[in-house]
Amino acid sequence: MRKKFVFISIILLAAVFLSGCTGAVAWPGLSASGDVAYLANTNTVYAVDAKSGKQLWKFSGESSGGIFSFGKSPNMYITNPVLTEDGLVIVLDSSSKHIMYALDPNDIDLEKQTPNIKWKFSEVKGLWIAPPLVIGNRLFAPNSDGKVYVLDLADGKSEKQAIEAITVSESAKEEARLWAQPVTDGERLFVTSLDKSVIAIDLKTYDVLWHKDLGGAVPGGAALGADGMLYVGSLAKQLERFDPVTGAHEPVLDTKGWIWGTPVASGDNLYFGDVEGYVYSFNTADGTLNWEAQPDSAITASPLVYGDQILVATESGGVYSFNADGDFDEWYKPADKGKAYTTPVVAGDFVLVAYLESDYYLVALDAESDEKWTFSGK
Amino acid sequence: MKNTGNQTQAQRPELPQGFATESLKTIAVIAILVLAFTNFSAVINFVVNILIFIYTFVGKNFGIAIILLTVLIRLVTWPLNAQQMKGAKAMQDMQNDKDWIAIQKKYAKDREKLAQEQMRVYREKGINPFGSCLPTLIQFPILFALIPSITYAIGSTPLSILKLSNSLYSFQDVASLVPLNSKFLWIDLGLPERTIIFGVGIPILALTVALTTYIQSKLTMPVSSTPGDQSAATARMMSIYMPVMLFLFSVNYASGLSIYFVASNILSIVQYALMGKVNWRNLLPGGQKS
Repeated sequence: MRKKFVFISIILLAAVFLSGCTGAVAWPGLSASGDVAYLANTNTVYAVDAKSGKQLWKFSGESSGGIFSFGKSPNMYITNPVLTEDGLVIVLDSSSKHIMYALDPNDIDLEKQTPNIKWKFSEVKGLWIAPPLVIGNRLFAPNSDGKVYVLDLADGKSEKQAIEAITVSESAKEEARLWAQPVTDGERLFVTSLDKSVIAIDLKTYDVLWHKDLGGAVPGGAALGADGMLYVGSLAKQLERFDPVTGAHEPVLDTKGWIWGTPVASGDNLYFGDVEGYVYSFNTADGTLNWEAQPDSAITASPLVYGDQILVATESGGVYSFNADGDFDEWYKPADKGKAYTTPVVAGDFVLVAYLESDYYLVALDAESDEKWTFSGK
Repeated sequence: MKNTGNQTQAQRPELPQGFATESLKTIAVIAILVLAFTNFSAVINFVVNILIFIYTFVGKNFGIAIILLTVLIRLVTWPLNAQQMKGAKAMQDMQNDKDWIAIQKKYAKDREKLAQEQMRVYREKGINPFGSCLPTLIQFPILFALIPSITYAIGSTPLSILKLSNSLYSFQDVASLVPLNSKFLWIDLGLPERTIIFGVGIPILALTVALTTYIQSKLTMPVSSTPGDQSAATARMMSIYMPVMLFLFSVNYASGLSIYFVASNILSIVQYALMGKVNWRNLLPGGQKS
């Protein structure tokens, strides 16, 4: 009897172990303000001093309570933390708890070395994947339930009813997942959705001004070009240009693969990558492709404009530096394994790159791409 | 010196009939298992592709796709399950065999001799002692691959969709599939299921897994007429142990997996019923004692 008990236990444990062989479920979120970097990694958010790489504080949220806690699941922090003008750090628990926390880093619990929670909001039905957008004293938070929630930053109370951003049929509503941070031109809020659509919302009335369908899901955000037009990439392997007022749109560039990351505008140029590993520079002034190049592997991160260079992180873990003509070289390659899906950020004097499946979570690189420190959360 | 060779030949245990065939079967199963687990990602990709193909075919309903995949796995492994049942029944009947009981008593203190005699009885009765084990083992790669496959396929995070796109074969149009509809009834298949009742999250699906597992194990438990039958005692213990294990498993994993467990349990009962091996009396209190 005991042998059979042990045998079946081994089988179940093996099943759990093998299911874990599929690796991580999400890549980390990363943002920075001044000399402080904020890293949302698995079940913890870290604040890291960009000068030294030392941890300033960490936040894990409410305890999951283990396997016997009905109604709870492990915390999961994967979206870029967002900073408000008042110094609050907005972090999102992307687990089924659906909690948004506003942390006050000026009010630290010294014993636990964690910031106190100023408020939290969890009246949503879907996962938090998209970082919210701060506009004045309001927070616009898209959710995987297809709604944009507008919160008062002072207390986290829902300012009005959540915006029903997606006005599609009830059956298709399940597909209306909002995964990207919105952008604004001051009058409108532009939201992208996995249900293959782009939506413009009036910032005063919260009315949906237009709602346009694309040929593919849009996991990344929209970018406003220097020409005042809105640019959106999708899984349909196309870059689309939108008139922000009317929503009239047209494809302006076919790409080799899915466009995942949000394009980045710099002057007249728009930079973005695709999952086939190509990097594109598109001229918004004349609507032509400046250049395209393929460093190595899939690109899900947005490029980072760093001085006169364009830095692009790839799935293989490399960071590539492009010049204005599209010439590139390998700027940084981690000594160890690691995958870079997250957009690099600048914090203080350094470029920070977040890694998945690596011995460290974060690496700081100076202007010469020399490693200054690594952070592993220990 | 001359007699040594003859003595050795006489002492050598006689190989059972069909030993070579059975050995080859065992080696083949081990080879398949080694191949599957050393290329586990290929097995996962295979299962993911079947799951996504069914999902597309049934109008983008993942719940139905998982149930149909379960049916497909049951159909494909039907002969193996039937062989397993046959082997298990034969082993169960063996517990009541006069020869078997006699040698257990006679050679209780000589394990080597007992093993030789057991092999002789197996051979005479035409029973493969691994007959109930090998068909189960060969199904493990698919069962193990189901967990990550369902997690990949439902894709509730950006990375899971990216992994899905890398897993799918070229004939599958991933872009048109994304986003995948992970809703089935009231359940988000990508997350552990909880239904809020009076403010408390109740894992109804995990409880259903436990209940169907319990019923399935009770219904398929062979009736034992021998007091102190060890295999019957094991079966009774497993009918408690398995529901608890699968409940804890279901509480923490994507509910798509729970749908698989429930469907698999129901189909298992159906298969046993079609083969006339369901003991409905076992559901009654004290039923298995009769």
